[in-house]
Parts: sequence; structure tokens; C-alpha cells
Amino acid sequence: PTLPEGWTAEKDFKAIGKIAQNEVTQRAIEPVGPHFLAHARRARHKRTFSEDDRI
Amino acid sequence: MSESKVSVAPSERTVIGITFGNSNSSIACTVDDKAEVIANEDGDRQIPTILSYADGDEYYGQQAKAFLIRNPKNTVAYFKDFLGKDFAAVDPTHNHASAHPEDVEGTVSFTVQEKEEGEASKLSVSEVTTRYLRRLIEAASEYLGKKVTSAVMTVPTNFGDKQKVALLAAAAAANLEVLQLINEPVAAALAYDARAEAEVQDKIVVVADLGGTRSDVTVVASRSGMYTILATVHDYDFHGAALDKVLIDHFAKEFMKKHQVDPRENARSLAKLKAEAEGTKKALSLSANASFSIESLANGIDFTSSINRLRYETIARSTFEGFTRLVDSAVKKAGLDALDIDEVILSGGTSHTPRIAVNLGYLFPQTTKILAPSTTPAAINPSELNARGAALQASLIQEYEAEDIDQSTHAAVTTVPHVNNAIGVISLNEAGEEVFVPVVAPETAVPARRTVHVAAPKDGGDVLVKIVEGNTHIKVTKPEPKVKDESKSAKVEDADEDGEDSDFSDDEDEEEEEKREKVWKIGSTLAEAAIRGVKKGGKVEVTILVDANLSVTVTTREVGAKTGVRGTLSA
Repeated sequence: PTLPEGWTAEKDFKAIGKIAQNEVTQRAIEPVGPHFLAHARRARHKRTFSEDDRI
Repeated sequence: MSESKVSVAPSERTVIGITFGNSNSSIACTVDDKAEVIANEDGDRQIPTILSYADGDEYYGQQAKAFLIRNPKNTVAYFKDFLGKDFAAVDPTHNHASAHPEDVEGTVSFTVQEKEEGEASKLSVSEVTTRYLRRLIEAASEYLGKKVTSAVMTVPTNFGDKQKVALLAAAAAANLEVLQLINEPVAAALAYDARAEAEVQDKIVVVADLGGTRSDVTVVASRSGMYTILATVHDYDFHGAALDKVLIDHFAKEFMKKHQVDPRENARSLAKLKAEAEGTKKALSLSANASFSIESLANGIDFTSSINRLRYETIARSTFEGFTRLVDSAVKKAGLDALDIDEVILSGGTSHTPRIAVNLGYLFPQTTKILAPSTTPAAINPSELNARGAALQASLIQEYEAEDIDQSTHAAVTTVPHVNNAIGVISLNEAGEEVFVPVVAPETAVPARRTVHVAAPKDGGDVLVKIVEGNTHIKVTKPEPKVKDESKSAKVEDADEDGEDSDFSDDEDEEEEEKREKVWKIGSTLAEAAIRGVKKGGKVEVTILVDANLSVTVTTREVGAKTGVRGTLSA
């Protein structure tokens, strides 16, 4: 939508909410497929997506 | 080695995928990253899970299956589900026509005459499994021209730890390194997603694995190529053997009318009926007509008949409806609606049946893809899905050390939070109303990163990017009530449940059905950002990254622009 008039925020970004613990469910991912292996690699090396992209 | 585990150095491995079923098993390998199912020396790709002994020789697969008629006592079949189970817990229904399971100190065993002379041997179900696996490995090794050392095997989702341990031990005794046990429905999903033309998407998939002695339906959330099982349903009443029974009864009655003898009362005649019924059933999946003939069925009388598909679909109707109910119950168990399902993968031998795919088509909206040979020309052979998935996984992990595989599949890695709600942005539709555009789908495992392009307001200018949570709900628009249809309108709430839709007559009263659609409900706002001076007809790119600790990073910019706005919501 169009920016309402007079809308301001620091660096043009305003944080309002967040994801609470009760809005997620612990579930098990299936350890199968290339995308999981990529996930496991990131998790074990504690890498983020962008770090992983660079390698 | 003290552990019952075979370990092979990655450089020395030759890997395959193995699907080990109650009725049939398959072996597959990968050639240039594409999975290929291997035929054994009999030319079979679906290899019956049967082991038989005659005159001191061991037979397996199709050859052993033929002995169900001539030598049932020394033939072991339908034993996979007995692995790792106490005798008291097993259901021997399917073993009446072959070697019976026996209780040997709690474990399941079979007595067969494996040597030409001398006493009969008692073989534990583990030993039978080991011997059968050896034959599978042998067939694969012959095809590949080198000794197969390792495999990924598929197991049902309700295969418990004890059963897994028993399967691993039986494989180790066959000198096979099992790299990983993977769940059957996930193998099927992987087999589809690994095709070159497949695009990785966020989708909800139902895998209906319809087998010979059991059917398993699984609802899987597929999120950027990662799979999370949401619900499973197992059934031991609706399966291929039930369809065989329908044909057996049909033809037995026809035979009785002519000859006043019930061929079902004689074990050998019944075994012949069963073998031929299965063959006829398979023929009916491919053509509209099939013959049924048995030499010397009973009292030395030959029997020949035929059946067309329509007649078969009529007599098997209640079983077909059972499959539809199973799928419906799995979707409900996952807390979902038929409208939430993007794809239905039909897997397992019984999935070749065209009518089952047609019935499922009625259960789901037209937007749902039903992946079966009769509905999708590009569908993969349902019998081969699990083996292909296993072979693909095997080729992916063959380079890994056994320890790495164990660590990567550890619960600490696999158990992660999944977001309950969708996260998306608000956009304006043509009518100028606010609509929700999902970026991160619900049930996505975190960490996750998604990017979308949203059209900015037509005239451009300064744009407000509003990041919100969203949820789907089903909007029901009731039809104009019609006077004559009282009973129908009373049932309107669950009109898309089984039965009604799987009607053979085309939905003649389609117009009277309620209209159900999935709509997004906008939830609480997470963040706002401003993108200033967007060109006319420009687009805004929004990337949302949800981290493992639930912090959210939003990056947004006009498509084509170099700089944008970035902000983080801490958890």
C-alpha cells in the first residue's frame, strides 16, 4: 500500500511484533534430500544462509 | 566388530536403494544422478518378497511365488512386518497359504524343509530376511558388475526402533552396510522432487502408499525441499489383497454356478485363484478388459472367463471407497482441509488402479495435482517411487563417513521449530482491498529464508511494506437452498467427504454444492518499512529470514534498486 503521510521511522524500518515461542511447534524434519543435507551442514558448522552462499 | 553393523570406507562403497516390502521389494541405483530401478535375473523390477525351498534349492522372488501353489509349506511370504516383533504381536492372516509363523521363545520363526533330506529347519524371521536381502544384493551386484556394499533402505513410518534394529542386524548378517533408513513416503516425495524438471516449492503433499497387505497415508509439508511429516494413517484392511479377494470371490462364484464346487475350499485351488486374480487385477489397471483362466482349477476342471474394468470397479467399489476415506482421514488428522493439499502422490503397487486416482480427484479441488499414471502422463511408476528415493538418497550420502551420517540425522539437527502461521506482506488487489501475500508458508522449519516480488501501487511513489502474520481458513458459501433437496442440505457441512464424491455418476447436482475456498486472514503486524520513490509499475522485493532463535530479519527494496531497507525483530 501507499505510505501514509507523516509515516517516519528510524532508517525507514519500524519493528512492531515478533514471533513468540507459542507460535512455533517443535517438529522433526526428515533427514532426506539435498536440501536437508545443506541444512545439516549449516547447522553443524553454525553457518548462516549468506555465509553458506559464499562458500 | 562387536556391533551388528557393517562399515565400509566411502571410497570403497557401491551403493543402491532398497525397498523391502511385505509383498514386493525393489532395488535401484543412480546413473548420472538419475535413479533407475534394477531388474533381477528374472527380469522383474518388483521382486516378490518370498523365499522358497524345493529339493534343497533356494528360490526367491517370482520363482518362489510360483511355489505358493505347488509347495506352500516350504515357502515363506509376508514376513517383513514380523521383523523385531514379539510373536504375540503379529498378525498371521496373510500367511495361511504359506509357511505359518511359529513361536520360538517369543520370536517369529518358520519351519521349512531347506535340505533335500534330513530334518526341517526352523528359520527365524531375521534369518529369512538376511537370506532374502542376500539375493537382492546379488541381483544388484550382477547388474552393476561390482559387489554392492551399501544401501539406503526404506521403512514405513510406524516401523519402531526395535524393528529398525532387527532390520539393521539382518542386513549386517547379509554383509550389507545400511547407510540410513528413510521413511517410505519421504522417499516417494524425493523421487518426484529430484526430477530435473521439478521445481522446489513450498507445498503440502499427501503420499498415499497403497500396498499389498497394508496401506499408509502420510501428509508431508514440503518446504524448500525439506520434508516434515504432519500426520500418518496406517491401515491393514484396505490394500491390494482385498482387491484380489473381490476378484477371487467373483470368479469362484462363477465357477460354482457351472460346476457346483467351491474352489476356495481347497487350498491349492485357492492359491491358483489368488495368483490369477492378482494377474487379472494388474491387467485391469492397464486395459479395459482382462481374461481370467486357470488350468485344472478344481476337480480337474479348467476355468476360463473374462471381466471388464467397469464390472470390476462395481464389485470393488466398497474397497475403493475405503482408500478414499483413508486419504481423507489423514488430511483431517493433520488438521487440514482438502483445499490445503497441493499434491497427492500415489505410491505402491495398488496405486496403478485408475479408479482410485479418479476417486481421489473428486475428494480434492481441481488445483490439487494427483500424481498417478492414469491422471498425469508424466507420473513416475508408483511401484518404483520408494526404491528411486532410496537410491537418490544413497547417492547423496555415499561420500559421507558413517559417523557424519549419524550426526547429521541426529534429533538435535532434525528437531527444529516450525512456524505455525504464515509470514507475509500486505498488498492491494485490483479492487484496492488489502490482501495477504504469503512469503514464509506455515509449517516451515526455521531457519528459513524466502523472497517474493510484490507489485507496488500502480502509480508508484512511496510504498509502505507491511510484514504481517497470516492464517488460512475455509470460507464456505452456502448455495441457494432448493426445496426438494432436504436431506442434502442437512449434510452440506461435510459434503466433500467420501462416498458422495466418489460416486460413479458424474456429479449431477454439482451446482447445489456449497462453494468452499481457502482465504487468508491477516494476523498481527510484525513490522513496517518504507520504500520511497518507487517507479510507476515498479515491484518491491521482500526477503524474510526467520532465524533458528525466531528472530526475523526483513530486507526490502525496489526491484532493480541497489539499496533497500533492512531491519531485525529480535526474538
